[in-house]
Amino acid sequence: MQVPNSFKLALLKQMLLGFQLSAVSSNSMSFHERKNAIKLSADAAMVFARGSTRWTRGLVASLSKNRNNEDLLRGILGKKYERLSLPCCNSWKIPRSRKILKRCLGLCSRRKKATGTQHDVKSSSTLARRLVKKRIQVLKKLLPGGDSMEGFSLLDQTLDYAVSLKAQVDVMRRLLKISKASNLNK
Amino acid sequence: MQCLRAPLSDLSALEGQRACAEWQQPGQEQSDYHPYDADYCMQSLCPVETAFRALHGCNGGGENENHGNVHGSNDCFSNAWPDIVSSMHCPVVGAAASVEETSVNASSSSSSRKRKSENNRRSKENSGGSDGKDDSNCKRIKEETGVGAATPEAKRPNKRKEESADASKENDKAPKSDYIHVRARRGQATDSHSLAERVRRERISQRMKYLQDLVPGCSKITGKAGMLDEIINYVQSLQRQVEFLSMKLAAVNPMMDINIDSLFGGREINPTCKSASIPMIGMSSELLDQSYLQFGSLQHDMFMGSSDLLLRPNVNPAAAVSDTSLGSCLNVNGSSVWNTNLQNVYGVEFQLGRGTALPFQSLQGNLLPNNLKMEM
Repeated sequence: MQVPNSFKLALLKQMLLGFQLSAVSSNSMSFHERKNAIKLSADAAMVFARGSTRWTRGLVASLSKNRNNEDLLRGILGKKYERLSLPCCNSWKIPRSRKILKRCLGLCSRRKKATGTQHDVKSSSTLARRLVKKRIQVLKKLLPGGDSMEGFSLLDQTLDYAVSLKAQVDVMRRLLKISKASNLNK
Repeated sequence: MQCLRAPLSDLSALEGQRACAEWQQPGQEQSDYHPYDADYCMQSLCPVETAFRALHGCNGGGENENHGNVHGSNDCFSNAWPDIVSSMHCPVVGAAASVEETSVNASSSSSSRKRKSENNRRSKENSGGSDGKDDSNCKRIKEETGVGAATPEAKRPNKRKEESADASKENDKAPKSDYIHVRARRGQATDSHSLAERVRRERISQRMKYLQDLVPGCSKITGKAGMLDEIINYVQSLQRQVEFLSMKLAAVNPMMDINIDSLFGGREINPTCKSASIPMIGMSSELLDQSYLQFGSLQHDMFMGSSDLLLRPNVNPAAAVSDTSLGSCLNVNGSSVWNTNLQNVYGVEFQLGRGTALPFQSLQGNLLPNNLKMEM
């Protein structure tokens, strides 16, 4: 799945802007600080280039938890920052009923296990379902803002996120190559 | 950008124009890039796509200029997917004009992409789907968008006659509603709950197919759990790569100071690099189809004029020079050598998508290729 060049260009441009704003090229930062600034710039650039989706909003939310990052985020995202930092409209809506249901189910299963009424033969379908559920939980943790997503939208956003990540990795790798090459030639 | 419309329905034409208009505004901030806009929405419009494909004798893949993955066969919709993906990856709607189905898809796809949030509040009760024109061997896929529902409605009268013999449930026709319309399959339960379930399941399986295409090496894995496993590994590896790359970039010392305005000012997308005022990062038209950034070369005077830049023109011309394809825009002051190396690097990388023994070593240390092998 290829990403349009415009996306990568926008990503690169914003990333470089982020580098400028955070002054990574100066020697005043420690290695750790510099690395964090670069990563933040890269993520913010990816968000900028992608626009407004659930995972971008989740990513902005998690990035802005750290107070230090806010300035850089604002600088890179510009006007979009306000729009993106709105709480995801579905986050609290995630059906309270569903949460209650989950809690009940959890209790029920725990009670069942306690009383030892395990079936000897677990049907393969339940096993498969359990595996899938576990993996979905892991995926939710991986994906920024993934906790509020379910089923189809989770997969959808995963796809989106994976493609954007790939593009980000691509751009960063090229940038690295270029900079190393230019250093070699000095 | 010329956007030709297939005269399939007014609604889709409108959408197409709107989508086209949105893409045609370079002046405004192109902030909301939808990287795989067309791909994406086109996933949701698979049924439309397949219908049209079958109709028009599977002319898909006609617009292949901007991507690498071209697939040949498109008999069944499942094979048609990569075609759709490849042909639609660049949402330049005008380019896809000659193929009717792609243009319709682009139009409704890019619009439906923007309206995805609206689509989420569809009712599942009244579901009616469009049927692929393909024979019953191909799975019937349900419409996702309300917009899309309009177009297959036009097809429905034709299908209706064929399928009137089916023991299928006839749903209300709501031509321009936001409802998904599903048709119950022969011999299957027809109550609304199971229909809705089926719709949901099929949407999910569509997405899984796309993810299968995305994640390398997943074509053989069939189960949902296995696929999810691979997806998780892939996303994790990508995240780790970002960490690692940011570390490496931090280690590059000093980091280049780039005058962004001079690089990007007024020239967001460069189809060709010609003149003396070549920006640092541009794209050449012939390389566009391989869809990667091309770092152009610079004139000496420009280099002197602006602040420190990425490339220096005084590259050691030790290596052989044979940059025919790059020649048009990248042949200034001996930097063609370097660009050739770049091309080799990119070429291999893009062909395989994994790190193999590359001429990387000429450009950088060994760490990165190893990492590539590891992660990919």
